[in-house]
Amino acid sequence: MESAFEFAPAIALFPLAAFVIALLFGRQLPKRGALVGIVATGASLVFSLWAALAVATVGSHREPLFEWAVGEPTSETGVEGIEFTFGILLDPLSTLMLVIVSLIALLVHVFSLGYMNAEGETGLPRYYAELGLFTFSMLAFVFADNLLMAFIFFELVGLCSYLLIGFWFRTESAPSAAKKAFLVTRFGDYFFLLGVVAIAATFGTLGFAGEGSFVEAAGEAIDAGESLFGVDPELWVTITGLLVLGGVIGKSAQFPLHTWLPDAMEGPTTVSALIHAATMVAAGVYLVARMFGYYALSPTALAVIAFVGAFTALFAATMGVVKDDIKQVLAYSTISQYGYMMLGLGVGGYVAGVFHLMNHAFFKALLFLGAGSVIVLAHHKQDMWEMGGLKSKAPVTYYTFLAGALALAGIIPFSGFWSKDEILYDALIVGIEQPVFLLAYAMALLAVFFTGFYTFRMVFLTFHGEPRSDAVRDPHPVGLSIKLPLVVLGVLAVVAGVANLAPVAKLTGLEITFLEGWLEGGIGEASYLAYSGAVFEGAEAVYATGVIGTESTTVLVAAGVSLLLAFSGAGAAWRLYGVPEPVRHTESLGGAYRLLRANYYQDEYQVWLASGFTLPLARAADRFDQGVIDGVVNGVSSVSLFGSGRLKRLQTGIVTNYAALLVLGFLALLVALGVHGGWFL
Amino acid sequence: MMIETLLAVTFVGAFATFLAPDRVAGKLAFLISLVPVALSLVMFGAFDGSGNALLEGTLAFESRAEWITVGEYTISWFVGLDGISLPLVVLTTILTTLAIVSSWTPIDERESQFYGLMLFIEANLIGVFVALDFFLWFIFWEAVLIPMYLLIGVWGGPRRKYAAIKFFVYTNVASLVMFGAFIALVFGLGDAVGSFALPEIADATLDGGPDGLFGLDGASLLSVVFVAMFLGFAVKVPIVPFHTWLPDAHVEAPTPASVLLAGVLLKMGTYALLRFNFTMFPSEVLAQFAIPIAAIAVISVIYGAMLALAQTDLKRIVAYSSVSSMGYVILGLIAYTQFGVGGATFQMVSHGLISGLMFMAVGVVYNATHTRMVTDISGLADRMPIAVGILIAGAFGYMGLPLMSGFAAEYFIFFGAFGSPSLPYAPLFTALAMFGIVVVAGYLLFALQRTVFGPYRLETDYEVGRAPIHDVAPMFVLLGLIVALGVAPELIFEMIRDAVTPVIENGGEL
Amino acid sequence: MTVPIEYYVLLSMAVFCIGLFGVLTRRNALMFLMSVELMLNAANINLIAFAFYHGNVTGQVFALFTMALAAAEVAVGLGIILVLYRNFRDVDVTVPSAMRW
Repeated sequence: MESAFEFAPAIALFPLAAFVIALLFGRQLPKRGALVGIVATGASLVFSLWAALAVATVGSHREPLFEWAVGEPTSETGVEGIEFTFGILLDPLSTLMLVIVSLIALLVHVFSLGYMNAEGETGLPRYYAELGLFTFSMLAFVFADNLLMAFIFFELVGLCSYLLIGFWFRTESAPSAAKKAFLVTRFGDYFFLLGVVAIAATFGTLGFAGEGSFVEAAGEAIDAGESLFGVDPELWVTITGLLVLGGVIGKSAQFPLHTWLPDAMEGPTTVSALIHAATMVAAGVYLVARMFGYYALSPTALAVIAFVGAFTALFAATMGVVKDDIKQVLAYSTISQYGYMMLGLGVGGYVAGVFHLMNHAFFKALLFLGAGSVIVLAHHKQDMWEMGGLKSKAPVTYYTFLAGALALAGIIPFSGFWSKDEILYDALIVGIEQPVFLLAYAMALLAVFFTGFYTFRMVFLTFHGEPRSDAVRDPHPVGLSIKLPLVVLGVLAVVAGVANLAPVAKLTGLEITFLEGWLEGGIGEASYLAYSGAVFEGAEAVYATGVIGTESTTVLVAAGVSLLLAFSGAGAAWRLYGVPEPVRHTESLGGAYRLLRANYYQDEYQVWLASGFTLPLARAADRFDQGVIDGVVNGVSSVSLFGSGRLKRLQTGIVTNYAALLVLGFLALLVALGVHGGWFL
Repeated sequence: MMIETLLAVTFVGAFATFLAPDRVAGKLAFLISLVPVALSLVMFGAFDGSGNALLEGTLAFESRAEWITVGEYTISWFVGLDGISLPLVVLTTILTTLAIVSSWTPIDERESQFYGLMLFIEANLIGVFVALDFFLWFIFWEAVLIPMYLLIGVWGGPRRKYAAIKFFVYTNVASLVMFGAFIALVFGLGDAVGSFALPEIADATLDGGPDGLFGLDGASLLSVVFVAMFLGFAVKVPIVPFHTWLPDAHVEAPTPASVLLAGVLLKMGTYALLRFNFTMFPSEVLAQFAIPIAAIAVISVIYGAMLALAQTDLKRIVAYSSVSSMGYVILGLIAYTQFGVGGATFQMVSHGLISGLMFMAVGVVYNATHTRMVTDISGLADRMPIAVGILIAGAFGYMGLPLMSGFAAEYFIFFGAFGSPSLPYAPLFTALAMFGIVVVAGYLLFALQRTVFGPYRLETDYEVGRAPIHDVAPMFVLLGLIVALGVAPELIFEMIRDAVTPVIENGGEL
Repeated sequence: MTVPIEYYVLLSMAVFCIGLFGVLTRRNALMFLMSVELMLNAANINLIAFAFYHGNVTGQVFALFTMALAAAEVAVGLGIILVLYRNFRDVDVTVPSAMRW
């Protein structure tokens, strides 16, 4: 089984090879490189499963592979020397994520056959090459064993999303959206890089887990209590942790850096599926889970994560309510769902957060691919008001999409319910003891209602009622390559909740929390056991937890409340839009509608920051540079030119004048020498 | 004798190209320039030096012969390589060859003179990096100006005369300041030195220092000399506010000259800063000026990037971003740590490659469209996919995309600067300078979006087509080197680290 | 019986001043040239006088040199004056003033 570890780097290298092959020979290949991508991601999936199996049997594994750079600086804590390496860390968390990423990537590749190839797109070799690079970057990010390597591939993921969002570069909007996505996430990555540098300079190591990890070093530094860079070690851990969190907020599209994600819908829908379910956006939350031990050292950082998540969950859900484009609705739901994961992690619900990350990967990939299928059916229309009645015409798409929608809305017993409920439960029990977290809980709970509403508004508008345009009256047929991924994901969206039926386990006492058991393993402090110990137990516990009455009542109350809200949201959508001829009700909201429609003017102020503030500032700087700084330089030359222009008039061309000057000069010299020599005294 | 052979081949090649007919000059210069490339690569492979050239390190390919005796001072032919200069020599030879290939398309008059000057400038640049006697070094240093002046002034754009004269006079005046200061230092050292050999002067300055001159005592003489030399080199680098010659020179210079100007000529300034200001002077002097220099570095980074944001000429954008990138070098130097100074040296090489690539890519775009204005071009990716692909790759290299050399350099610098024990407020300066990576992404992505993406729109009376292979091939070579150094920075960082460590140790604890 | 050195110096000074006055005031090129010759010869008088006074021949050798040079100078000078006349139909030194700025 250990040999799985030797082959682990291949998990990422297969898609890299696919990238190279598709880039160089894509034109000559059958299906323009799609098959290469399918084979590569399929191989990645097999090797990921093998690695997961190996982790299950022989335990976690960490191995440095390649020395990137070394040096002998002394860190703030006194560690001599530092090694920046590339290595692999295979533990329960990373292998779980490897399986998810390679599975989704495989399905997206298959789906692309129907979505891109069959639709006669141009530039397909480029598309498949970029997909390969994207998958490679994400997989390498997932098994990175240190923060620098994680940052490196985090950035490459950003590059790939830039390239893929801007895939249709001949339009005006796609390149603009791609630029925005890269810029906004770059702004987050600025803080991330600063955090990486700070952690490296402080602890002299960047390893995530095991011997000499920065998490361990930070714990020791806090125990030692000596100030780091002039501040208290705990505060310093908080600062650096929040700096890294900047990157997370950018990539996972959390408030206030969420604005890029809805625009990113300009890319092909397959790319959206990959970005939202398994790669770019997932990378942020995965990073929080990856270095959870570090955040567990800082209550402030955890609270910030929780509140950013809860606020984003609600904030994005309200915006999703008024969108007309099917992909826009899904985009805001993504932001909202990642908010839930952040909340879960922030309140110490490590298993809940990871669980939701997994479930969300399945049902969001399903929903996006389903939306892609709808878009094909509707002859590339995306406005839900031009759809309707697709239920009977495309049953496979409908029922799989419905499964995804039920999971997203958090309806029992679909997968989304179990993980979302666990997050809410974790927030609730923390909130009972620390009432301030009840606010986060309330925001997340309110978001459940909106989630149910916009999800079913989307379902009803798209599939139910009468067809509202010619395009959906005569839908374009979809092929097997589209249906197959939908079915696979549909099944997963239904059953994935079985992985961790925590409420059932709590009520019945059965040992059926498999995911929790899986995540308990790991290297050193990087395991769920250690995290829950650090967050909830001992004298230095971050959070205390309480219950309402007994644990069983609390579970039932939490689940009941969230289910009630989800059902009422879905019911409201049914009342308003579940009719044969739905009408727009959004206008009746008045000012609130305009506010929501304009996304709370978040885009406006960020665009203003870029083009209304920075650009004029740059122009002013340019004028200053040309006028003042270059003006001085040119001024010096003008003065000397002018001066010499005057001086050269001495040269009259008349020889007598020269003779006179000669004599005068001689006399002046004589007088000067005389005065100096004291002749006249 | 390797270095002498290298120099001799290049000089002789330059003259041979001068005399060759125009028809064959380009190909001939290319063939000739392959010899220095091969020689420098052989030297890279056979490099056996260790430590810093000025601080009693073991020099590779050292040779020394007395040349002139002036009064009590000896001037000698003293050349050798250490881990700092060797990568720069290799950079020079490779970049010149590639620049020669990239001039086949745009240069169509006075070709033999053009290629002769290219080789002549290469020879002098190599001389700057290998010379270890001040006098010898200064001859090469000044001689570089002449061919560059002619390249801009003869083959340049519409305002070439203004740009060429500004370039020449500005940098020459700066050299004068630096020269005067250095001579003052040598005289101030008195009997402690008997030659212009840099190691000897460094040794004397660090060990005891000057006695004083013109009524200044030793310590203040050192400070004055430090500042004057810093200002002298600052123009060459260039550092804000001495940067205004650079955009003018770049915009007017023909593309191959821009490649060399940004790729290697700017590195002369930073190389000299490292060799003189940051190696020869004791750490107390550095500590005195640490905060102002770090502030200038941060201003260079942010201000240069802001200026680039306001430009609409692609070449001006790249030119101003060079100012920004050189700010990182200064930050790394003043951080005065192994990763800081090592990263600064790495950035010299890396920026040479990346800016060379960018100028070549912009040149290819210009060859095809005859415009460089961002506002005039749109959707170029439609017509020249390969060239545009490389332009995008170069732009991302400039932004410091990981696994390209720019990221490694910037990361080393930031890491070195953040934990610097000698620079007060080091984390703050690092954080401020690092914001440059956001602004650089801003202006490059804006420019890319407008020029290469979107619907194709350019009114020309001919068909804009793919670039010829000899325009694209050099860019692929550069891209390969950039990625290689990004994936495995240890290829050169190992020798750089070896050469900068004595600099830091010599400064000791501040 | 020797003439005191002061007389020689006075003579030379007088000749020099006459020459100088000529250079500064005359506009005729020929007069100009003659004035220059006067100044040269003033110097020659000094050289010879001091050579005699010091009792060595260095000054006299120099005077010979000067005379030879003066001859050459006159040749060149007259040539210039001829060209001047050919071009301007005049030998006024203030007329040709193109060689300025």
